[in-house]
Amino acid sequence: MPPILRIDRISKRFGRLQALADVSLEVSAGEIHAILGENGAGKSTLMHVLSGLYHPDSGAITLNGRTLTLGAPLAARRAGIGMVHQHFTLVEPLTVAENLVLCSPDRPAFRLSPHDAVAHATALAEQAGIDIGDPRAVTATLPVGLRQRVEILKALAGETRILILDEPTAVLTREEVTQLFALLRQLRARDRLVLFITHKLREVTEIADRVTVMRHGRVIATERLAAVNEGQMAELMIGRAAPQRRPRRPLAADAPEVLRLDNVTTARDGGCRLNAVTCAVRAGEIFGVAGVAGNGQQELFEVLAGLRTMGSGRVAIGGTPAALSSPDAAARAGIGPIPPDRHHDGLVLPMTVAENAVLNRNVLAQLRRGPWLPPAAVHAFAAQLVKTYAVQTAGLEAPVASLSGGNQQRLIVGRQLAPQPRVLIAVNPTRGLDIAAAHGVYDALDAYVAGGRAVMLISSDLDEIVDLCHRFAVLYDGTLSAPLTPPVEPEVVGRLMAGAAG
Amino acid sequence: MKDLVLRAVPSIAALAAATAVSAVVIAAAGANPAHAFAALLDGAFGSADSLSETLVKTCPLLLCGLAVALAFQTGMWNIGAEGQLLMGALAAAFAGSRLPLPGALGIPTVMAAAALSGAAWGALAGTLKLRRDVNEVISTIMLNFIALGIVSYLVQGPLMEIGGRYPQTDAVLTGLRLPRLIPSLRVHAGLPVALVACGLLYAMLYYTVVGYEMRAAGLNPIAARLAGIPVARRMFGAIVLSGALAGLAGAIEVMGITFRLYERFSPGYGFTAIAVGLLGRLTPVGVLLAALFFGALEAGSNAMQRDAGVSAVLVSVIQATVVIFLVAAEHGRWLPSRPSTAEEALQ
Repeated sequence: MPPILRIDRISKRFGRLQALADVSLEVSAGEIHAILGENGAGKSTLMHVLSGLYHPDSGAITLNGRTLTLGAPLAARRAGIGMVHQHFTLVEPLTVAENLVLCSPDRPAFRLSPHDAVAHATALAEQAGIDIGDPRAVTATLPVGLRQRVEILKALAGETRILILDEPTAVLTREEVTQLFALLRQLRARDRLVLFITHKLREVTEIADRVTVMRHGRVIATERLAAVNEGQMAELMIGRAAPQRRPRRPLAADAPEVLRLDNVTTARDGGCRLNAVTCAVRAGEIFGVAGVAGNGQQELFEVLAGLRTMGSGRVAIGGTPAALSSPDAAARAGIGPIPPDRHHDGLVLPMTVAENAVLNRNVLAQLRRGPWLPPAAVHAFAAQLVKTYAVQTAGLEAPVASLSGGNQQRLIVGRQLAPQPRVLIAVNPTRGLDIAAAHGVYDALDAYVAGGRAVMLISSDLDEIVDLCHRFAVLYDGTLSAPLTPPVEPEVVGRLMAGAAG
Repeated sequence: MKDLVLRAVPSIAALAAATAVSAVVIAAAGANPAHAFAALLDGAFGSADSLSETLVKTCPLLLCGLAVALAFQTGMWNIGAEGQLLMGALAAAFAGSRLPLPGALGIPTVMAAAALSGAAWGALAGTLKLRRDVNEVISTIMLNFIALGIVSYLVQGPLMEIGGRYPQTDAVLTGLRLPRLIPSLRVHAGLPVALVACGLLYAMLYYTVVGYEMRAAGLNPIAARLAGIPVARRMFGAIVLSGALAGLAGAIEVMGITFRLYERFSPGYGFTAIAVGLLGRLTPVGVLLAALFFGALEAGSNAMQRDAGVSAVLVSVIQATVVIFLVAAEHGRWLPSRPSTAEEALQ
């Protein structure tokens, strides 16, 4: 069958970040095609280019042999591309029927009778073969799965040939996922092309005919599902575990345990649930937690940083049980967190470099004189930090927002290491950094454990884990595998990341 | 220094734009804008007496503006300075007309009572927010009406002056009135009090750990929380202190100018203070300058009405356009985090 959609050498750059680099892809009608990749791999950017929200820097897209006008959402819609966003675009206080009329091209300009709206919705649903329940129901009252169906129906209205779904299962229950997949198969039978964005391997095997794996803005491979297994996909997605490139200090055989987790379990609240996580990090060790994002990494970090309460289990630091009831308690227990998102939880962007250099209660405790925080002390501390970690700034009084990502990250790393926490918990500390900047962070972590401290490195970059860690374990669906010691066969890690029993 | 100048640019631009709009309004009303502005300026600064009146108006605006600035910087959208001012004035009028204390002891006592009263009114909104997740914008606005109702009831009933015919409280005892700085002028000892408060707030925000933590909590509550800062406690502290400052404004107005509390006691100082805080970009020094500016507008508006025939209400037009231009100029970017972010952090 000739391809209905041809994406030809699309590139897109945002500032210093090459979001898409020469991406090409051909897909035929009557196919469910998964786009697989980590957060930040470029999946969503590519789909936004396809649906006209972003204008690419170069490249072309042809649809049914006709060139698509790029960067024009309306043109994409007319050409038959419909998109279901991860965050729904329904007007919640309106009824289902009203929502469907809203985006209908022949919607009346002034008067809309509720009866007509319902008739329109029913016709649309019948034509597409999608069950949306009662079209008179207020959207806000519907379960998420049903709301998504309305969203899909909205995207299908008109002559839609290509349906794009951005992480459609993130918000669904298992049952709703099954229903969604049934619907997608039905659309495939009607000769529609379904592009399915996900980072969950299991879903790819369950629903897709072919899969395109993306990493760092590039297409790594496009394969028929028959030709790859989950382990291989995980490997393609995260990068194969290359042989270790960095020399590592050997770990003393009798190094004491600094951090120990025993059966740490969390309550389920939308995200992933930690399930009896047990591990130990020893003095002088960098211990890695590998795995595909969304398998409990965030939850593990939050528990250790004191942001989330444990359901059961215990955490001990230096052999003493630690109550991680608040970030302050965690800090006092000796945990230093490096959060996953610099801008969201690592920095106060409108403040200066100096003010951000002391954004840590233990640092503040060192610098304070009674109630006072002498600016001279803040300045001296920040100056030392900037020097030690080679942070390039336009001055300590410059806004921290003016620093590049790598310099911001070095500032955070230095700040969190300064009070000498017994164990540092770092989540994707090099995300978005160039290689030189990443190595700056690695050097800091290496130097820190050389002094007898411990680091837990939670990262979705397997190369980084293998390069840096003395031992690592794989987190999958909230369960942590037994620890592995590099070098390990990539196949083994891939299987663990895909959920096979270790 | 260069930084300070740069930060003042939007404020100055907004002032210029507001002046231009006002000139158009004045011209449309058939008066001469240049003449009207000259009269305004003369009424605000033209003589010792008018300067004194400007400073008299500046006092409550400065204290309430500081209250707004502190709360906003910490991410608490306190729209209730007016109510907190009224509760402070109520405490001052009650205590001031009854406490048989010598001035040196009595004046600070009455002021402290007023500050406590305003702080309690602020604490009410703070508790509602932190315990019951009630949006403080709504609760502080509603608490303004309640404070107004309480004052209205008390001055017509239980606290109405003994043997009097007007709905007002008894006069503040002579010994508890704020001394005038210059005997022939109305400007009183409340001015140094407000200036000291301004200095203290500046020191707190920029030279203490608590102040640093408050600012960090306001600008990024999520990062502040991860850093171990008790965000909820800092926000609560900010709105309590904010209420105390506004309550103090009520006290100095009662003890220095009106000597009694009555229903239309405040011409909306607590509301104008929001404009003062924003124009001053939420910094104590900026608020001082903005309070002086708005004080001059208030004081000069009567002269403008008398000499140029332009209604004193025009001043409200200037105030309102300043705020709109200011917020529009930067898409509200420099304001602290929106309530939703704060709520995320408080969970």
